[in-house]
Amino acid sequence: MNGRNVSEMDFVQHFNVVQLANALALSSLLTILASGLALIFGLRDVMNFAHGALYMLGAYLGYSVAARFNFWIALAVVPVLLALVGVAFEYAVLRPLQKRSHMDVALITFGMALVMGQVVSGFWGTSPLSVSVPKSLAGSVALFGQPYPAYRIFLIVVGFGACVALAVWLKWTRSGMHVRAVSQQPMVARMMGVNTDRLSLVVVCLGTGFAGLAGVMAGPYLSVDPSMGANILISCLIIVVIGGLGSIGGAIAAAVAYGFIQVIGAILSPTLAVMAPYLMLFFVLLWRPQGLGRGRVA
Amino acid sequence: MRATDKRAQPIADIVMPVSSHSGRSVPTVRWMTGLVVAAIIVLGLLVPSVLKSTFYLGLLINAIVLGIAAVSIGLLAHQCGLVMFGVAGFTGGATYLFGIAVTQFGWSVTAAAAFCLVAATFASLLIGMLVVRARPLPFAMLTLALAQMLRSLVMITDFRSVTGGDDGLTMNWSGSFFGLSQAQLNRPDTFWAVAWLALCGVMLIAWMVGQSRTGQILRATRANEERMRFSGFNTYMPRVLAFALAGFIAAVSGLLMALHSAFASPELLDFATGGNALVAMLVGGASTVSGPVLGALLYVIGQDQFGASGHLELLTGLGVVLVIVAFPDGAMGFLRNGVRRLLEGRHAAR
Repeated sequence: MNGRNVSEMDFVQHFNVVQLANALALSSLLTILASGLALIFGLRDVMNFAHGALYMLGAYLGYSVAARFNFWIALAVVPVLLALVGVAFEYAVLRPLQKRSHMDVALITFGMALVMGQVVSGFWGTSPLSVSVPKSLAGSVALFGQPYPAYRIFLIVVGFGACVALAVWLKWTRSGMHVRAVSQQPMVARMMGVNTDRLSLVVVCLGTGFAGLAGVMAGPYLSVDPSMGANILISCLIIVVIGGLGSIGGAIAAAVAYGFIQVIGAILSPTLAVMAPYLMLFFVLLWRPQGLGRGRVA
Repeated sequence: MRATDKRAQPIADIVMPVSSHSGRSVPTVRWMTGLVVAAIIVLGLLVPSVLKSTFYLGLLINAIVLGIAAVSIGLLAHQCGLVMFGVAGFTGGATYLFGIAVTQFGWSVTAAAAFCLVAATFASLLIGMLVVRARPLPFAMLTLALAQMLRSLVMITDFRSVTGGDDGLTMNWSGSFFGLSQAQLNRPDTFWAVAWLALCGVMLIAWMVGQSRTGQILRATRANEERMRFSGFNTYMPRVLAFALAGFIAAVSGLLMALHSAFASPELLDFATGGNALVAMLVGGASTVSGPVLGALLYVIGQDQFGASGHLELLTGLGVVLVIVAFPDGAMGFLRNGVRRLLEGRHAAR
């Protein structure tokens, strides 16, 4: 009885606004990445194993641009650079190989991730780098009476802002409608005259650009090191599969849930927090193979 | 075999066309194949007496350990069309099982080895029952998640006394494994026989599965599952069995690792460790049993040549991309096609 009271007190003590905000900060990063991954999957049916490497590339480019000019220029330039990488990815890999099995293309992206990891560590070395928080966001703001780093607030705002923008595009524009149509029923959409190739170029650029955005944003929040891509990739894959392959809304919801489980679980029971994503993936896939959202079975 | 025959005796090729081969009775062919395989197995045992360098022998043993894991992935990839991303969970898991049996339960080596194989196979049977229903992509994710889960599990501080946490698990045992002490198992020249026989056994098993009726059902299911179900075949059980077998083969690789190095670390369960075996399988080609082993050999040679300069990942990445784009059958398929084309060229010239 006594023990339960203590644990309840601990819970109340730790479960405060700061923790919630931390969970949101992690979720926003995961959301940007996972929605990019889900977009590419929806259009091309390819699980992009290079997404983590693209995110890492974005973080390193962000580091260099921020060191040379400043963080704000990096935030504007790097996503564009990554979108250009996306153009190359679409024209060199996805388009020529669309007749091949999707697993083959996924394995090619796996090979690409290895190459990109090596190229990045060749250019920037393997030791962790840190990006300093821009001056205007260096301080902390009072969040319901508790000090909280302003940069993380900015991260949350940008992350979810990007997702809202994406959702608006998907929901209320004609091209967005086409993307949704292709993600749900590729054959029917093509028969109705949707140009999948042109759409795919836009979507792949957007997906890789989002990876670049996440990379730049992650710089001051986490450290920049060569293993950052592989670590976050597995989380993102889990999120996309749980959310429903090709379902953007599902991916966003799953990313938020994932962030909360990670941060809040780490306080309650670290053991459980570590295992939770995998268990979640297992149960979701076995119980609802199409994922939580309105995705389709891969 | 036929290829070398012909290169040695071009005249025999003209006198006795290829059909002479099918003219022989089937049992004779089977006997001859069996003899050749037995000869290769016996000759392979003599490798340490020819190759004196401990370094290169160690390299070959690494190739065998990696190759067996690659055979496991290749079996599932070829027979079921399922790519296992998390093979590290089965290889590394077996290494840990052996280590725990030896250090915690204080069992003898042989008992621990048997326990490791049986427990790993049983576990993969249970996991297989759940995951083989999944489509290829979710299947890949599920196995990857399993390996990652296992990796997190051994790192948990509460289990540190059992698994050793980040420091890894150092194993010490006193008994002997088929007459080999721990020190002998650690030396490449005395360990060679164990590794070689394990490789031959695993390859034979995988080959037999491919030849069997179950193998046929598996490949037909891979091509069109719905049609197989309509035709009244059980498409589920064969795949569960194939998964359990792949788990067993991966466990053999993990057991060899444990016997040879007497050490288990969380890195064994890493995505990257499974990735190496996956790369070996892809480069070698999954359509034959020997393909993954050839791939593992190439990988280990590459690791030796380029590992120090840090270009290994670059090359494996490029290798994977190149092989999938240009040679979908892998290096072994490339070799086989080359030999076939050579033969056809000769026929055409004739």
